[in-house]
Amino acid sequence: MTIPAESQKTVDVYLATLRKQLRDLMEEDVRDIVEEIHAHILDKTSATDSPEAVAATLAALGSAPQLAMRYRTDELLQRAQLSRSPGLVFRSIVRWATLSVGGMIVFMLSGIGYCIGGVIFVMGLLKAFFPKRAGLNIDYDTGHHFLSAGFGAGSGPHTGHDPIGLWLIPICLVLGTGILYLTFRLSAWTLRLFTRPRRMAAAVTVEE
Amino acid sequence: MLCIVSCCESDHPPPPVPDPAEKWEVQLRKGSLELAILAALWSGPLYGLEILRNLESGSDLVVVEGTVYPLLTRLRTLGLVDSEWVESDSGHPRKYYRLTDAGRSRALAMTRIWARFSASMSSLLAPLHTADSAVPAISRQPVVTEKP
Repeated sequence: MTIPAESQKTVDVYLATLRKQLRDLMEEDVRDIVEEIHAHILDKTSATDSPEAVAATLAALGSAPQLAMRYRTDELLQRAQLSRSPGLVFRSIVRWATLSVGGMIVFMLSGIGYCIGGVIFVMGLLKAFFPKRAGLNIDYDTGHHFLSAGFGAGSGPHTGHDPIGLWLIPICLVLGTGILYLTFRLSAWTLRLFTRPRRMAAAVTVEE
Repeated sequence: MLCIVSCCESDHPPPPVPDPAEKWEVQLRKGSLELAILAALWSGPLYGLEILRNLESGSDLVVVEGTVYPLLTRLRTLGLVDSEWVESDSGHPRKYYRLTDAGRSRALAMTRIWARFSASMSSLLAPLHTADSAVPAISRQPVVTEKP
């Protein structure tokens, strides 16, 4: 049984869009998915052969980007749960953040963690390159002590007292790395713990 | 003020606010779909459209078609189902799914949980059934919503 000629182009465009939207997945999986959806369209339209049946079948599947999103969200979260890649875990949390308030909270907290860890790590590096200008600094001004952090910017050395000195380098590198690692581990753990029901919700839409 | 004027001038009525009970029912159906698919595959291999028809005929789980295939892919990734392309008389191959041993175990475990939960809820809800039977039948009709 063949699809009517006028509908064939619509189906081809739908499948091509689906294939394009699934480009993040493995080629073998993409081929499998597209072939299965194609087979579904042929099965659904085999009885009537009318353009209306094809249009109704495509409408029931949802738009190609919507359908691809269901596959991709599931695939991405699944890979992230098994992955040790911080980039993949972070991308999954970003995707999760678009799906739920919980995901948004985890995204913000992990973002804060990565920022704090990153800033501390960078400060350690800058202290190594600009020992006079970067680091902690205590100023005594109008009877009060002020603790400030410098990142090497400015024209001259600090005028106050550096309480840690070059010890700041290993402290910042270790502490920054630790915070970055801890943030990654907590993000991955949260993803594993909480995304299974979300994956269901994202992948499953029951007709009301 | 501008908002009030523009609202009054609009020809379109505001979208209906979904009934909380309906939303809860949708969530309940979503949560049971995985078990329903495993149950549909219990008797033997089926391809996607057969699974959909099985769900429609065997329950009132009317599932949007585009959601079953990603879910089947997920179940396969979890090792609960296996899939195989089979040539058919219709002229194109079909992807058949069948339960793996892990899938059968999962289906049985979920069924036990479902039965236990359902029994405990039924006893808890018995007084409500009695009260509900006193309500005129017309008010208990399910609300039919249009699918976008």
